[in-house]
Amino acid sequence: MSVYVYAITKESHPLDLGDVKGVGDPPGEVRVVRGASLCAVVSECPEDLSVARRDIQAHQDVQERLWADGPTLPLSFGFVAADEEAVRGVLEERAQLFAQRLDELAGRAEFNVKGVLDEDTLVRAVLEQNTQARELNELTRSGGGTYEDRLALGELVSQEVQGRQDALAGEVLAALRPLAEAEKVAPPSHQYFVSASFLLDEDRAEEFNRVGQELAERYGEGVELRLRGPLPPYSFV
Amino acid sequence: MTVVPQGNGAGGAPAAGGGSGNLYDVLELVLDRGLVIDAFVRVSLVGIELVKIDARVVVASVDTYLRFAEAANRLDLESGRKAPSQLTDIVEGSVESGAHGKSKGALSGAVEAITESFKGDGDESEDKEYEAEDAERERRPAREKRRERPERRSERRSTRDREE
Repeated sequence: MSVYVYAITKESHPLDLGDVKGVGDPPGEVRVVRGASLCAVVSECPEDLSVARRDIQAHQDVQERLWADGPTLPLSFGFVAADEEAVRGVLEERAQLFAQRLDELAGRAEFNVKGVLDEDTLVRAVLEQNTQARELNELTRSGGGTYEDRLALGELVSQEVQGRQDALAGEVLAALRPLAEAEKVAPPSHQYFVSASFLLDEDRAEEFNRVGQELAERYGEGVELRLRGPLPPYSFV
Repeated sequence: MTVVPQGNGAGGAPAAGGGSGNLYDVLELVLDRGLVIDAFVRVSLVGIELVKIDARVVVASVDTYLRFAEAANRLDLESGRKAPSQLTDIVEGSVESGAHGKSKGALSGAVEAITESFKGDGDESEDKEYEAEDAERERRPAREKRRERPERRSERRSTRDREE
């Protein structure tokens, strides 16, 4: 019977699963597969496992539950082993590697920061501060000007917006980076001007949140910083 | 450096602490990161590509430029300056609902896609086979292909209509 695999822990982990439920509908019973020195947390793999909120949330709930009691290696969503024997095989084969990583993660947690900028606020700031952009905007806004004028306006605004986003992202990263043991920065996207994960010693969590708070207060309206953490160390396994 | 208008609007307050109550904010960590064990099989992640659409990197293009030109043209600069506190509310609201709305859209879109792919395992291979086959078969009434996708069917029907 194939099993869905959530996480790998040391044998010394309390593995108190409480009443946490696994993926599937009805939710699978979460159980432990024990190797010599490591354990894996699994449940029966449902036939209809999907990238649905239900199953992703269940995956995340199990990770949170385990991580709260000690270091774990959270698997990425969606990994299925043929049977418990296959899971034990992997635990044995890679025992040293996994154990080493678990030691490195002890007492640490992942913190994630995402920044969302309101585009209108940003474009407004560009127009207020850039004379050329303002003139091109005046020229084109009532249907006047040529296609090239519109393109020139768009290019200028786009570059200015990009520059401001990059600068802001740089500031956010620079402020948070000194607190972290490691970092994983995602490239800026349409949605987030900054998206980064940091591995923090647990006793720095408060400081991290305070710095994030200060940044957000400094930037004010039009900038939203979302700090999430402590989280299982997805980005640092 | 004044990057954006300053202020103490609640829009700038971070959603600090509180673990990971909001699944969407940690979605890409759960899907993209985490330990990958190649000895195990990963379930079909068709939907994950859709979830990640919003993570696409910004590229400079004519489309982008025209969109920004439109955004600039659309702004009412005067009223914006006159009513800053009102703006804060609007900004806050739009950022919030914008992001969450998107998340729902992306996620439910993914669910649909993956559901389709799970239900339609047979269909997929049938379609591929079908495409690979000779155009000769295209003209035969394909009644046995009852499970083919609607849009494909209508395409084919219109081909037949022209032929008739």
